[in-house]
Amino acid sequence: MSDLKGKVLKHDQQTRVMHWVHLLCFLLLGLTGIGFYWKVALIDNIFGGPANASLVHRWAAVLFTAGPAIYILLNFERFSKFFDTITSFSKDDFGWLKVMGGYLPFIKADHVPPQDKYNAGQKILGIMIIVGCLLIILTGFPMWLWRHSVPAVFLSLCYNVHFWTAIIMILLVGGHFFLAAIHPKSRVEFASMMIDGYIDAEVTAHHNEKWFKELRKAP
Amino acid sequence: MSIFLEREGITRRQFFKGAGLLTITLVAGGIFAKIGIDIFKASDKYIAQRVQGLYDLDEKMALRRSHENPEVLQLYQDFLSPGSVSPVSEKAHHLLHTRYGKETAVMMDELKHHAA
Repeated sequence: MSDLKGKVLKHDQQTRVMHWVHLLCFLLLGLTGIGFYWKVALIDNIFGGPANASLVHRWAAVLFTAGPAIYILLNFERFSKFFDTITSFSKDDFGWLKVMGGYLPFIKADHVPPQDKYNAGQKILGIMIIVGCLLIILTGFPMWLWRHSVPAVFLSLCYNVHFWTAIIMILLVGGHFFLAAIHPKSRVEFASMMIDGYIDAEVTAHHNEKWFKELRKAP
Repeated sequence: MSIFLEREGITRRQFFKGAGLLTITLVAGGIFAKIGIDIFKASDKYIAQRVQGLYDLDEKMALRRSHENPEVLQLYQDFLSPGSVSPVSEKAHHLLHTRYGKETAVMMDELKHHAA
């Protein structure tokens, strides 16, 4: 670590609002989904019974879809940069994956290669979240709007894909929360996305060295 | 204190990646929605035809109301309410109103009692 002073604006206001909206919708969707998939009366009753839980699930899904869609249309440049970063893998990313960034206690990491704005793990998470969201949205709306029209076998496929994607997403988001908010090496990230968008320059210089070099070059 | 900000603007590569993903999503979503809407319309059309078919069949029937069926009237005259047509006669009530599930045994007892 250096004694570098200053702050880096990692996530701007609209990104943070979109992340909050998506997070709250995801919590509602996950909770109501678990409630009526496993018939947990306690969860259903929080929302006023299974029928209301189902309504909350559907309209939270509309917001879950519209939130990022509006964000992307209003922030196309930011989205393009983000998508380019998470889909660009270099030697350094594979090097990071070999030692898992030093996050796992049983993998010895003498040297962790320098990373972009997002490290290799965050890149893979980003790709999986995008694919997962698309799958969940594309299977969810037919289950709501076309359930009486589409063939039963297609509807059944939608239910299965929707369910298993949701399970994987819940596990991914659980891991994401642990690393971003609890793990002592990376929990400084939490405030930058959930509160003011800023993170210490010193932390960025250490965790996102390649990106920080670009920031220093920026006028 | 220094504040570090990202450079404005995007590269051509970033533009093509972002626009590419958006285009693929929109096209795939559009095709998916079109297929779904077509299936929905076809389903609606089928339901409308089926309803029309049932009405057409019904209109072709010689007898369309049960209370005008001569066989039913005869049944009341001869057996259920001898000498008259009384759909709520006691015998009609016991024989024509059934029960289900756990109440079946009670109904059987009642019928036996009534027959005796």
